[in-house]
Amino acid sequence: MNIFNASGRRLMSLTIFGSTATLLVVSVALARNPFTADELKAMEASLTQSSKRGYDMWYGARADMANNGLACANCHPDASATNPQTFPKFMPQFDRVVAYRDMVNWCIENPQGGKALDVSGEDMIALEAYSFYLHKGVPIQTGLQTRQTSGPTPKNARGINVPGTGIGFDKK
Amino acid sequence: MTESNGNPRREFLGLAGKAGLSTVFAQALGVNLGLVNVAQAAAVKPFSFAMIADPHLYGAKDHVFDKQLEDAVLQVNEMKEQPDFVVVLGDVSHNGVLNELEKGKRILSNLRVPIRSIPGEHDWYLDMGAGWRANFGDEFWSFDHKGVHFIGLNSILVPDFWTKAGLTPEQRRDWFMPLNSPVPGVWGTDARQREWLKKDVAKLPTSTPIVIFTHSPLWDYYPRWNFQVSDAVQIRGILSKFTSVMAFHGHVHHTLYNKIGNMTSIGTMSTSWPWPYPPVKLPYPQFQQYRADPSNTSDGMGTAAVSITGPGAGRMQYAPFADSVPQRLIDGFKI
Repeated sequence: MNIFNASGRRLMSLTIFGSTATLLVVSVALARNPFTADELKAMEASLTQSSKRGYDMWYGARADMANNGLACANCHPDASATNPQTFPKFMPQFDRVVAYRDMVNWCIENPQGGKALDVSGEDMIALEAYSFYLHKGVPIQTGLQTRQTSGPTPKNARGINVPGTGIGFDKK
Repeated sequence: MTESNGNPRREFLGLAGKAGLSTVFAQALGVNLGLVNVAQAAAVKPFSFAMIADPHLYGAKDHVFDKQLEDAVLQVNEMKEQPDFVVVLGDVSHNGVLNELEKGKRILSNLRVPIRSIPGEHDWYLDMGAGWRANFGDEFWSFDHKGVHFIGLNSILVPDFWTKAGLTPEQRRDWFMPLNSPVPGVWGTDARQREWLKKDVAKLPTSTPIVIFTHSPLWDYYPRWNFQVSDAVQIRGILSKFTSVMAFHGHVHHTLYNKIGNMTSIGTMSTSWPWPYPPVKLPYPQFQQYRADPSNTSDGMGTAAVSITGPGAGRMQYAPFADSVPQRLIDGFKI
């Protein structure tokens, strides 16, 4: 019997002697990382690039997201009080259940007075990448949040793994 | 009223007329500052003052934050117990440009009582405080009023990171824009202010009630967001001889309470936008404001007032624009 991964690469061949042995061998085979170190590095770099783009936009890099100078970070430093892991949920200003990206566009159009982003475009994905990345590890709990919530605790200056500028205390 | 910061101030002379008779008499006789304060410490007269924090005005005409500061001014003017003065706790402007600072001064001039101001980081780093000083005066100061010694400090100073990096004034200013900026490091006052403060309080009797204002809190709340004064321990040490120290600050944009030694520290809401609580355990969580409703542009902001009821005794009242805080914080609590 041959087992292949999604790209057609043969993971292993085995001969079945009994059901217990089969389960043991198959589970070991599936626990193997399906990606090479280089593939993982490339994927991580791509995610970091998107998160960095989202970080820059969060702090005001895209001018048409506001007509009054406000950026996401004015109210949400470190993506705090965004709670992306709680979406989809009912939002009173929509009077229906919405996705996180709908709320992002609501903030852009209302307090920021800007132009809504394409909901499936790279910029929206970048904003999601940044704010979801900072909430990595926070339990997914869709539902209403009516009490004060605390923001995430980032591990480094920007909360994402990008090199620092070297200016002042910005080393990493 | 007596004042000291090395420079006489004219903007605040309105308070002199409200100073106690003993002060006026003492000044007329040329009695020195220490003796005047002894007389005042012995006789605290009830009064109140109000606070407005973090207007963050932008230059654009009819910006939404203009209206919110105007609402704050109206709210203070309509307070049942009229304050003797208003303290503006910094970040009048968002970008530190002259038209924002001038707009702030113009809107605040509609207050019925005099103001005193301390700077915030947004006011400061475009021109290192030149525009702010031109509109709001000295960056640190003290004065006596009805038996209480008031102090204001500039708590947003950091060592020079811009000269070596060759930054323009705009680039320097922009590194202070994010609350969690990775560049400037933690800020505080400086050696010059600490030396001045030591002298300022040296002759005051320990029973003198002290009220001190800084932009950021005089304790380590959350340094990642510069929710601290880096030399707070030294400042608190200089004031440790006093029976009662009340400390008030802006910058955090939410209600906050702490008590350290002889100091009670209280944070104020902004007039611009509310900030979430950082991911740390609050020493007194019962003083939290409610989570703001983003669809209500008045929610989460407001002003505050303090009634001084006796030596070292006061009552703090938050005055939110909407129903943003528990009723007991609106009704007031003892300090």
